[in-house]
Amino acid sequence: MKPKFLVGGAVIALALGYMIWAGVTQSAVYFVTPSELTAAPVAGKAYRLGGLVERGSLKWNPATLDLAFSVSDGKTAVPVRHKGTAPDLFGEGRGAVVEGQWTREGYFKATLILAKHSEEYQAPHPTKDAPPKRILDTLEAPPR
Amino acid sequence: MIPEIGTGVLLVALALAVYGAVVAAVGGRRGRPALVQSAQHAALGVFALLTAALLLLIYAFLTFDFSVRYVASNTNLGTPFYYRITAVWGALEGSIVLWAWMLGLYTLIVVLRHRTTARELYPWVLAVMLGVLAFFVLVMTVPAPVFTRMAPVPADGRGLNPLLEDSGMITHPVALYLGFTGFTVPFAFAIAALVTGRVGDFWITTTRRWTIVAWYFLSLGLLIGGWWSYHVLGWGGYWAWDPVENAAFMPWLTATALLHSVMVQERRRMLRLWNLALVVLTFSLTLFGTFLTRSGVIASVHAFTQGTIGVFFLGFLAVVVLVALALIAWRWDVLGAQGELDSVISRESAFLLNNVMLVAATFTVFFGTVFPLLAEAVRGEKVSVGAPFFNQVNVPLFLSLIFLMGVGPLIAWRRASLENLKRNFLGPVIVGVAAAALFRLLGVGSVLVAGSLALTLFVAACIAVDLFRAVRARRAMGERALPALGGLLLRHNRRYGGFVVHLAVLVVAVGVTGSQTWSVHTETTLKQGEQAELAGYRIRFEGLRESQESNHGKVTGTFTVLNGKAAGTVLEPAKKFYPQEQSPIAYVDYRLGLIDDIYLVLGDFARDGTSVTVKIQVNRMVSWIWLGGVVLTLGTLLSVLPERRKAA
Amino acid sequence: MRRPWRWLVPLAALPVLALLAYGFRLNPRDIPSPLVGRPAAPFALTSFDGAPVELAALRGKVVVVNFWASWCYPACYEEAPVLERGWQAYRDRGVVVLGIDIQDKDEAGRKFIADFGLTFPNAPDRGGRVSVDYGVYGVPETFFIDRDGHVRVKHVGAVTEPAFRDAVERLLAAGPGAVR
Repeated sequence: MKPKFLVGGAVIALALGYMIWAGVTQSAVYFVTPSELTAAPVAGKAYRLGGLVERGSLKWNPATLDLAFSVSDGKTAVPVRHKGTAPDLFGEGRGAVVEGQWTREGYFKATLILAKHSEEYQAPHPTKDAPPKRILDTLEAPPR
Repeated sequence: MIPEIGTGVLLVALALAVYGAVVAAVGGRRGRPALVQSAQHAALGVFALLTAALLLLIYAFLTFDFSVRYVASNTNLGTPFYYRITAVWGALEGSIVLWAWMLGLYTLIVVLRHRTTARELYPWVLAVMLGVLAFFVLVMTVPAPVFTRMAPVPADGRGLNPLLEDSGMITHPVALYLGFTGFTVPFAFAIAALVTGRVGDFWITTTRRWTIVAWYFLSLGLLIGGWWSYHVLGWGGYWAWDPVENAAFMPWLTATALLHSVMVQERRRMLRLWNLALVVLTFSLTLFGTFLTRSGVIASVHAFTQGTIGVFFLGFLAVVVLVALALIAWRWDVLGAQGELDSVISRESAFLLNNVMLVAATFTVFFGTVFPLLAEAVRGEKVSVGAPFFNQVNVPLFLSLIFLMGVGPLIAWRRASLENLKRNFLGPVIVGVAAAALFRLLGVGSVLVAGSLALTLFVAACIAVDLFRAVRARRAMGERALPALGGLLLRHNRRYGGFVVHLAVLVVAVGVTGSQTWSVHTETTLKQGEQAELAGYRIRFEGLRESQESNHGKVTGTFTVLNGKAAGTVLEPAKKFYPQEQSPIAYVDYRLGLIDDIYLVLGDFARDGTSVTVKIQVNRMVSWIWLGGVVLTLGTLLSVLPERRKAA
Repeated sequence: MRRPWRWLVPLAALPVLALLAYGFRLNPRDIPSPLVGRPAAPFALTSFDGAPVELAALRGKVVVVNFWASWCYPACYEEAPVLERGWQAYRDRGVVVLGIDIQDKDEAGRKFIADFGLTFPNAPDRGGRVSVDYGVYGVPETFFIDRDGHVRVKHVGAVTEPAFRDAVERLLAAGPGAVR
């Protein structure tokens, strides 16, 4: 192969390599637990925070679409705020991963809430022989 | 009963497949046609047994045979009829059955088509196909047994994952698997070529149609997957760079590269080694894809459960990659190119660049997908790599590819003269630049968006130039325009089929650009009778109602679009409550349009049904993506037509 | 390319394969449970046979609390024999296995117990209070509680023999009064 093609090829390869490397390191989002985040929070850095949604911490305001809750790993809890409804699999006492940034005001601003769905087991439900009552009623204070 | 019969059938199939693979290889090595015949019969037997196993499974689903653990886990007495059939491939074990069955079908077709035409390669092709089949049947019997008995037999099953109760569920896996498994055939031919040393053009020209068909089904599977995501999952998007999506995208990228580099090998006898490597890479990536989805190694929204199956797949992948690469290394000397690259400004060069971009994109996607693994192995950090990275690196690559799509078909082989460049490209370049200027003047989007759209126009102009000239030449000979066009398409169906496929890509590109740039969304809480406004549409919340379906309860919100072209449309997004699920599943309602899709997702609602929080999206140009799929189908059909005798 | 260098080609694939194999050692789904290390919530239920089932009375023993339901398959069906065997093997060593049937009908629960021949105490969680206290949101979930009454292991999904054995042996070895 002619040397100029080899050189050209090498240049392209290096350029692409750099583009990829820079892209990955800049946009990689770091997964942290609440304890890890509280130990060394960096404002403006993208994180994925994983833990359990603390019971009693969930506040939802339908008028302003403000969702607030705390994510805990048993040792530390981090206050989180999100604009908009949470995904269906989300709730108190359940595992969740939120993606967003730590703010200087002292809370985690979540842009994305991810909830996990396990294949291995199933949720409690009204027994099959007793048909579910008016569904809207059963949504009140679910046994979470 | 069924569990035992089914397991028996699979065990016999496994034995036959192993027997056939070994005997075919020996027959090929020793030149013994009788052995190859025997292997052929074994292949037919395997296909028959796999068909029996699949039918048995379908039967078990249709008759609610909960003694089969897989049936009990994936269906219940309330599952509607057609979903009972599609549930067969709705979870891990069944998906392997479908994959293996398709592989068996393809093996049958290979037997019927190539047993007389590919004399030398045939035994090895058969051996490889049967070997791969043997592996998948092994998976069906050991780590992911599909016919396990459930004792005691439950009175009712668990039910299908509600997200899978959708028309996409019927078609998406089928198309995708037809694509994935299809690449086994070119791979088998490649291995046969390496083993026998016949690394000339025969193996690749024979498998050209296979590659196109497999590529088409993979493309279709990806598009349907995007459609499924769009209309079921409720986020209004069609591609998330999820590891499982990436796993299906990577072989598509390398297969696209292969479709192009084949032409360079045919014309100039170059890139023979490259093509072999591409085929091996494509097949390996399909295996990597199934490994990724089933091993639990990388977290994904789609992933099936973990287990020992990952080890099996990784082991097989390792064997395939190492053996194939070793064969290439062994035959290295014979694989030298017989042609040379004359100039950078040439069609060969365009194809080469096309391949470089596609392989670069593949590497990008691969790297982004496994980077979390790498980061944890090396630095112990848990990271995730999301859409921003993939978009950032891939968008320039894809734009370059679109540019090449315009240039490639028109530029001359070997060395393009300035005259040639001017003749072909002056018009399209003017069109492109003018369009870009016009878009900017009209305030259309950013420089990038205007540039992308202008680029698609440039390519469309290139295609038009070629078509126009060819028709004009025929007309000069006395033919009228329309028959000239028809004759052109049929005579040179490969070329024009390719053009139509390129057009399809342009349509999809416009759809992607438009939807990413101009879609808008909002979320708001409405009381009964209140309206929301987005993008000029006014949407009123009428009320909430609940109902009981065969296997789920449902709360539906009714909304009316009050103005514009869509005035009077009633949209009914809902939340479905399945007893076996942890929480409700959102059911999206939408109105599709050529330019605007109106898309509603129900969020939270008050118990008394008087107020509701709803997500409203107006997604733009998304329908172009699905239309592109239709054009793609037409282009592919044209390409695979049997070749007429060409004029010189 | 001269003879030996060409063999680098297949060898080049090994690092990638190794990296993928490394992935088996990790679990991308790990989400920590805040209950582990905390005192187990007390409960007082009545078993299907009418006998009292109280956590407080079992202080000093290793207690395995398993939340199940008759409609939960295949997982609960798979782990029932494992739990029964575990009970038989360890009951003389100071280990108690308790089953709590949640969101179920008594009849179906009794049938489940009879089908699997379960001999350890099983009680229905009427009202669902106990499952709420333990943060149960799916079945099956199993909690391994040490002699001091602290939750040490939470197992989500069907319990396997090795998982059962590991957890129980570890808690037996820890001894009373030991803090992990």
